[in-house]
Amino acid sequence: MTIKVFHAELGTAVATGLLGLAGVIGASELGYGWEESGPQAGYFPFYVGLILIGASLWNLVSAFVHHREAVAHAASGGDTEEPFLDRERAGRLGVFIAALLAFVIVTLTMGIYVGSILYITWSAWRQGGYRLPLAFGVGLAFAVALYVIFEAIFKIPLLKGPIEPLLGIY
Amino acid sequence: MGNFDLLMHGFGIAITPMHLMLMVGGVMMGLIVGVLPGLGAPNGVSLLIPLTFALDPTSAIILLSSMYWGALFGGSTTSILFNIPGEPSSVATTFDGYPLARSGQSTRALTLAFMSAGFGALLGVIVITLLAGWASNFALKFGAPEYFAVYFLAFAAFIGMGSAAPMKTLVSLAAGLLLASVGMDSVTGSIRLTFGFEDLLGGISFLVVVIGLFGIGELLSTVQEGLRFRGVASKIDLRDVFKTIAELPRYWATYIRSGLIGIWMGITPGGPTAASFMSYGIARSSSRKGVPFGTGRPEGIVAPETADHSAGSCAMLPMLALGVPSSATAAVMMGGLMIWGLTPGPMLFATQPDFVWGLIASMYVSNLIGVILVLATVPMFAALLRIPFTIIGPMIVAICFVGAYTVSNATFDLWLVLLFGLVGYLFSRLDYPLAPLVLAMVLGHKAENAFHQSMVLSDGSLGIFFANPLVSSIMIVGIALLVLPKLMQHGSRLWRRAPVE
Repeated sequence: MTIKVFHAELGTAVATGLLGLAGVIGASELGYGWEESGPQAGYFPFYVGLILIGASLWNLVSAFVHHREAVAHAASGGDTEEPFLDRERAGRLGVFIAALLAFVIVTLTMGIYVGSILYITWSAWRQGGYRLPLAFGVGLAFAVALYVIFEAIFKIPLLKGPIEPLLGIY
Repeated sequence: MGNFDLLMHGFGIAITPMHLMLMVGGVMMGLIVGVLPGLGAPNGVSLLIPLTFALDPTSAIILLSSMYWGALFGGSTTSILFNIPGEPSSVATTFDGYPLARSGQSTRALTLAFMSAGFGALLGVIVITLLAGWASNFALKFGAPEYFAVYFLAFAAFIGMGSAAPMKTLVSLAAGLLLASVGMDSVTGSIRLTFGFEDLLGGISFLVVVIGLFGIGELLSTVQEGLRFRGVASKIDLRDVFKTIAELPRYWATYIRSGLIGIWMGITPGGPTAASFMSYGIARSSSRKGVPFGTGRPEGIVAPETADHSAGSCAMLPMLALGVPSSATAAVMMGGLMIWGLTPGPMLFATQPDFVWGLIASMYVSNLIGVILVLATVPMFAALLRIPFTIIGPMIVAICFVGAYTVSNATFDLWLVLLFGLVGYLFSRLDYPLAPLVLAMVLGHKAENAFHQSMVLSDGSLGIFFANPLVSSIMIVGIALLVLPKLMQHGSRLWRRAPVE
């Protein structure tokens, strides 16, 4: 699976345009006109949204223009467009993002300590090729360091799950 | 002479055991975030802000600004030893720094970089010292229309002077402004753009966005390249350090030119990254003889480093005096100031002289500490990059998420970090600049309030932005910055093309 720069540009331009559209719709529900005391609440976001839509459209069109130039260039014997993501890079990114997603979900259910221990252990063990006990040790040491810095020194409570109270940590 | 007395007073505040300790600590933490990929100055400072709530504002800003200097030094270290720019602004240092280090002169390359950086920073702080009083007196004349004009000028300068495509900068800016307006509106009191999500009622914190965009986003870029660090030995030889210091006066012309470029780009919102590239380019085109640039020429290190650091420190001036930061890190620091209950702008100089002059004095001291510390600890920090990415990567991720959580103890923010991480990756791959988005998020409310007040004053007429000489001249400079740079580019291209046709 290869993603072209062209497609990434199109997708981004459409997404930023939709963000602008959301702003315009949200603002028009509030009213973007004038009342006695001055502009209504939606006035500023409404016009910012319009600007965002306009700039996104411009980027959309210029992506098409660039793409046509690149295709013409390739057809006349020049280099083809560099891909945005080739298979190898997409694979690496995919694994990393999946792990990131799993980390967030585990953190939300089990707390940040369990989440980071599991995440670091998994990464060092499966990806780094370290032995499991060593990998787990690194993860545990990191969690202890977090606890000492945040909870003990700065008195800032971090997100905890169901396990910490069992260990007497609140 | 007023400024000098105030500066001396500032030294009295800055040089206390507690503050010196904070400077050392800040510079050390800055070196770590500067060296590690995925942690840079903007999100390093963002991660630290929640920890500063317990400190008084003066100590807090000294810690944060020291971290900033440390990060700038750390960024140059990895550029030279590993050919990996730790910061976007140290990319230009890799061009000549890495080849020089590869040729066995790593001590010379590092010393050149650190001394130039220290010199640049010193130049920047001197300019701040000289201009601070004047700039704040000037800004005292400002009303709401003038403030909006200044914000407009900052936005316009990003669009006109940035290296990215103008419409991409505009997208970044507008997205930031829109994100800033989510949540409770402070003027009308209505809830805006939450679309029924209760988590959005409090708005979207710019700190969370910065951590996502710069932290996770940069890590994703690192991962997709499958980075392997190929470092150069990093032992510091003290004799080489002194020999290099002795050769520095030879580059006086490069120093002065690069310092001036840095000062200009730091005060106008060009930022350190643009300054270092510009300075490198000018040094290359004005060099006459000797080793070609790109193969380890000393001027190729001196030029970007001097400009980078003088721009970095000068960026503090518009932030303090006008409330308009000119780099992403300065924007984050300004956000911190507002969280601590201070209002950046001219009144800060009148109401909080201890804070302002303590900070300015600390910039002298902490840059000095920075140069010494970085020379002493380079081998140690370079060793950080020898830790395999499979271990350090997840740790950086965990630190980013912990930092985002501590901003307001909201679990929803963890999703935002993930989302903005993906956005940051996409934006940086497609050359959308990230700094304008951060700037717009920090300035959004202030810009909107200034606009709102101006409109109320003028009964809805945009003419108020051209109603007196002061506000019209700011607007005209803004419009000129918006259109002139690109027009001149087109003009010179046509000019050059004409004879060929």
